[in-house]
Amino acid sequence: MQTKRAMILVSNDPESVRLGADELIQHLTEALGAYDFQDEVEISTLSNVGASNILPLVVVYPEATVYGPVQAADARFLVEEHLYKGRIATDLVAPPKQLSGNIGWLRAHKGYNPAEQRIVLERAGRIDPENIEEFIAENGYQALGKALTEMTPEQVIETIEKSGLQGRGGAGFPTGRKWKFVRMAHGNKKYVICNADESEPGTFKDRIVLEGDPHTILEAMAIAGYAVGADEGYVYIRGEYGLAYRRLQHAIKQAEEFGFLGKNIFNTDFNFHIHLHTGAGAYVCGEETALIESIEGKRGEPRSRPPYPVTHGLWNKPTLVNNVETLANIPAIIRHGAEWYRSFGTPSSPGTKVYTIIGNVNFTGVIEVPMGITLREVINIYAKGMKPGSVLRIAQTGGSSGSIIPASLQDTPMDFESFRKAGVSLGSGALLICDQNTCIVDLVKVLLQFFRFESCGKCTPCRVGTQRAYEIVDRISQGHGQLDDLDVLISLAQEMERSANCGLGQTAAVPIRDMLKHFRTEVEAHIRLGSCPAGICEMLPEVEHV
Amino acid sequence: MVQITINGKQLEVPEGTTVLRAAEMAGINIPRLCDHKELTPYGGCRLCIVEVQGVRVPMASCTLPVNNGMVVNTESEALKKSRKFILSMLFSERNHFCPFCQVSGGDCELQNAAYDEEMTHWPIQPGWNNFVVDTSHPYFVLDNNRCILCRRCVRACAEMTGNFTLSVAERGAKSMIVADIDVPLGESTCIKCGSCVQVCPTGAIIDRTSAYQMHDKDLTEVKSICLGCSVGCSVKLMVRDNRIIRIEGDWDGSVNHGVLCEFGRYNAANETRRRITAPMMKKNGKLEPVSWEEALKAVSGKLAPLASDKDGIAAIASTRLSAETLTAFKDLFAGNQLVTSVEEGIPTAVTSQFAQKQGTFEGKLDMLRTADTVLCFGANVGRTHMVAGFMLKRNMPKGTRLININPEENELDDLANLNIKTKSGSDLALIRGLQAIIVKEGLGRSPVTISDVGACIDEAIRTIGISLEQLTQTARILANSITPVILIGKGITSQRDQRLVEELHKLAVLVGAVDNERAGLLSIKGGINSLTAALLGLDEAFELNGQKAVYVALGDDFISKSLAERVSQAAYVVVQASYESTLTEQADVVLPVTVWSEQEGHYINLDGRIQKAEKVIASPENVYDNLTVLSELATRMNISLETNWEQAILGRKSSVALSLNYRSSN
Repeated sequence: MQTKRAMILVSNDPESVRLGADELIQHLTEALGAYDFQDEVEISTLSNVGASNILPLVVVYPEATVYGPVQAADARFLVEEHLYKGRIATDLVAPPKQLSGNIGWLRAHKGYNPAEQRIVLERAGRIDPENIEEFIAENGYQALGKALTEMTPEQVIETIEKSGLQGRGGAGFPTGRKWKFVRMAHGNKKYVICNADESEPGTFKDRIVLEGDPHTILEAMAIAGYAVGADEGYVYIRGEYGLAYRRLQHAIKQAEEFGFLGKNIFNTDFNFHIHLHTGAGAYVCGEETALIESIEGKRGEPRSRPPYPVTHGLWNKPTLVNNVETLANIPAIIRHGAEWYRSFGTPSSPGTKVYTIIGNVNFTGVIEVPMGITLREVINIYAKGMKPGSVLRIAQTGGSSGSIIPASLQDTPMDFESFRKAGVSLGSGALLICDQNTCIVDLVKVLLQFFRFESCGKCTPCRVGTQRAYEIVDRISQGHGQLDDLDVLISLAQEMERSANCGLGQTAAVPIRDMLKHFRTEVEAHIRLGSCPAGICEMLPEVEHV
Repeated sequence: MVQITINGKQLEVPEGTTVLRAAEMAGINIPRLCDHKELTPYGGCRLCIVEVQGVRVPMASCTLPVNNGMVVNTESEALKKSRKFILSMLFSERNHFCPFCQVSGGDCELQNAAYDEEMTHWPIQPGWNNFVVDTSHPYFVLDNNRCILCRRCVRACAEMTGNFTLSVAERGAKSMIVADIDVPLGESTCIKCGSCVQVCPTGAIIDRTSAYQMHDKDLTEVKSICLGCSVGCSVKLMVRDNRIIRIEGDWDGSVNHGVLCEFGRYNAANETRRRITAPMMKKNGKLEPVSWEEALKAVSGKLAPLASDKDGIAAIASTRLSAETLTAFKDLFAGNQLVTSVEEGIPTAVTSQFAQKQGTFEGKLDMLRTADTVLCFGANVGRTHMVAGFMLKRNMPKGTRLININPEENELDDLANLNIKTKSGSDLALIRGLQAIIVKEGLGRSPVTISDVGACIDEAIRTIGISLEQLTQTARILANSITPVILIGKGITSQRDQRLVEELHKLAVLVGAVDNERAGLLSIKGGINSLTAALLGLDEAFELNGQKAVYVALGDDFISKSLAERVSQAAYVVVQASYESTLTEQADVVLPVTVWSEQEGHYINLDGRIQKAEKVIASPENVYDNLTVLSELATRMNISLETNWEQAILGRKSSVALSLNYRSSN
């Protein structure tokens, strides 16, 4: 009998067949033929393995690598990488546990030179998030060990400062400086809070990190705790993130068992405990002071600032609040150093950024790319282009409170500095890509509906302003607007930006401003002509007064 | 101190001052709506925004702490525009139809702010929605149409009274002030203190009794004190046409800082009893109106021969009478043995006796502001001395612990961190048990020797029926406090057992409750002049012992059924009272007198503050002042009422340090 050097098993249970297993086997056979491997490699079938999320599934022996889901189109690539080049086709490896979203992988075989560098999503989708050993095997908790045993808190902060890491929650505040403020704040009790209340519509980057790599967050929080002098941390997690919550809960338990959390971590006198706290569905609780109020058991309303949380945070103690994505960068920076981190991205905004891509594009999900790439690149390379028949018309960056930009701005490099110059907000990293069938008035109306619903009601400009603005835009969308309304909208936007208490009220004005800045003619068409150029808004007939 | 420049004016203010307050110090007015000096800054209305040099957006000055070298500008075209915008937003939010509002025309802070910004109309149309008007409350109306959601009422409910009834439901434009879980106010946990009415800047919460009567500018404001209980809160009486229109807490009052309770704010001016307007004498078994001359003659004729007889007359006075009146009362009946107050010394006799031995041992009411643990021993401050209760309750969310020891269920049960229900006669054992545990565990702050620690603990456990754990926990909480306060009430004092006070004092010394400014022991006492009565020695039990006549100086007070029965056993009863009661019905002579608001005089509250109550309205024609009645009688009985009250109250050692708390009235 002839000896085979490898064996490919393809699942052919009914579900796999429904998802194209037969076609896959056919393509695999063809690919083997193309490389002349038909005698060296055998193809066989495999019954249901109970992993419904990764079907059809391919197992390649003798390495026993599990790939999935594998499409027929991937067959050639799989054979080339694994059997011809002899390396694991990382992009196709089955995630050990299901994630509730897609992670975009740039296929090396498509001929592009990938600019992709994974720091935040380094392990998400590759390791079993419920198994701490897999995390440790992938350099997990190495950074914590290094920080605790080889570095002083000051050195940790210095490293983060030098790395140029900026907060990924939206504002882009230098992380190292924030840590320094908390470190310098007086008080023997301090807290570290991970803001995982990801509630920008269309954003789910943090969810993927929490679901796929929960230990990274715990590790980063412990490092932060060590650096700023805190011994207690809270993860304020969005209430809807059930899977992420369970995985975090499990991770905390494991980390405590392994001694990475709790008392005398790495045999030092550093103690750190982490609590989980779920939100109750308020968008505004993603604002750090509202989040703190919520943890304290109060109504989720942002505080007036100053004083800032760095000096008067949770229970009025100095508190560090960092976003999930920000924290996920920390362990890698500690492991590899600041210089390494600065080698990615742009000089003013080093590192990578995780974007959530949604809209009329071929791929929707999260991607991690260096800072400074353009929206055009994101759409054409990572999102695999616009959907057939779609043309980019409007893009929204940064969730509801982000900017609405026309197609003409798609070549602006996406980093904090360049965006700021262009008057655009990078926000939470949600990229909503809209085609020609989107009406700007309708889009803004939806956004304002969201804001008026989510305004906490504390301050006048936001509470009343969002309501009045919604009413006006609603009127315009029905064809009952007046040109005067636009002036009122502009002054509403200006004053809300000036006098609202927190970011929600201030940025609620941004869609209005952007609408009138970039798409005024379209808005005026609703008013002057009584028609919606995109054909979206349902124009109501004028009420006749007798 | 920090340097700050506001509108080019340089000034130095203490660290931690907000920009708004600093501006006030510089005489610069910054418009504001949600801010109130007695409440925590909130930063909601945004009317007080100012420009700070180096900061991109304007900031709310009410929440902004000053920084050294800060340069602030409160007046600019941009700010004026923003303020107008905020006001137009507020006017557009609900239905502010000013001409129809009770506070319109000077009493509305929203309307005034709009006039200040030279607004003449609504720049933005209102939403024209209906909002709920809640009229279920007996004293006030919540009209959501006029609410600007400034949360002053919510904060007052929490921070002033510690009641947490009001809150905000929903969010954004749907936000609404609600009671509890959105129940009608009248069915809520509201304790009817009216603090929300007093802080409301618009006509959203209005007082039922005074609404739509007149503007504040048409009312005369008289500062006085409430005679409701021994706390002695400062009030502002709003008067017009010889009528008290409304009672407000005086923000400058050193006792209460503006807070009042239901009794002080509403009941005081809401009298339902029937006024006596002419002297009356019993003729043929029926009370009939007579002239003052006839009545006084009859009374003096009857009493004069008995005045020097020890057991001739029994005299009893209300503790709502002024110190002047009580002193005269004591002088008038100096020859008689049974001269006491209607309280019969129940709230004060034991502490007073202990003071004769110990000297001053009680602390000040302000201790409750700083207390980290309060032990309420037989003191139902949630019901009887409500403002003292507010001081305690409002600090509980900040971590103040409450140990409530009482034989029966009371208002504090649900709030207390620890409840101990005592049995009759078990208090002494409990106090000794607590001392013993503190000594046993070595937690005492001062060396106190206790013989047989074990027996004391066993005795406490056995008599009260609590576990050792519970006793130990209580003792530990108390002993580990930095500023413990022990409040003792009627539950203790009514037992007339001086050992209880002695042992409580010993406990206070053990746990360090001794500095009397931040930590200490305080008895709650009874009526407003309870302490004065005790200082004058008017604190005996009223037991008739062959007395031929009883003189009751009741004033406008109530009398207990039991006391009225005991009084009426005498052959001849004279009652000096403002209102009809079972007692006046049985009296032989009734002398009509003024009520609290028709007379002036001095009062000493529970922590020794000597305060003056003012006369604010004229009394009915044929009614005499309490003091006048006594002096008229004295003249007719040839008794001199020379004693100065200020001297008289120094006759006995006081259990609390006395202090003058005169306030310049008007």
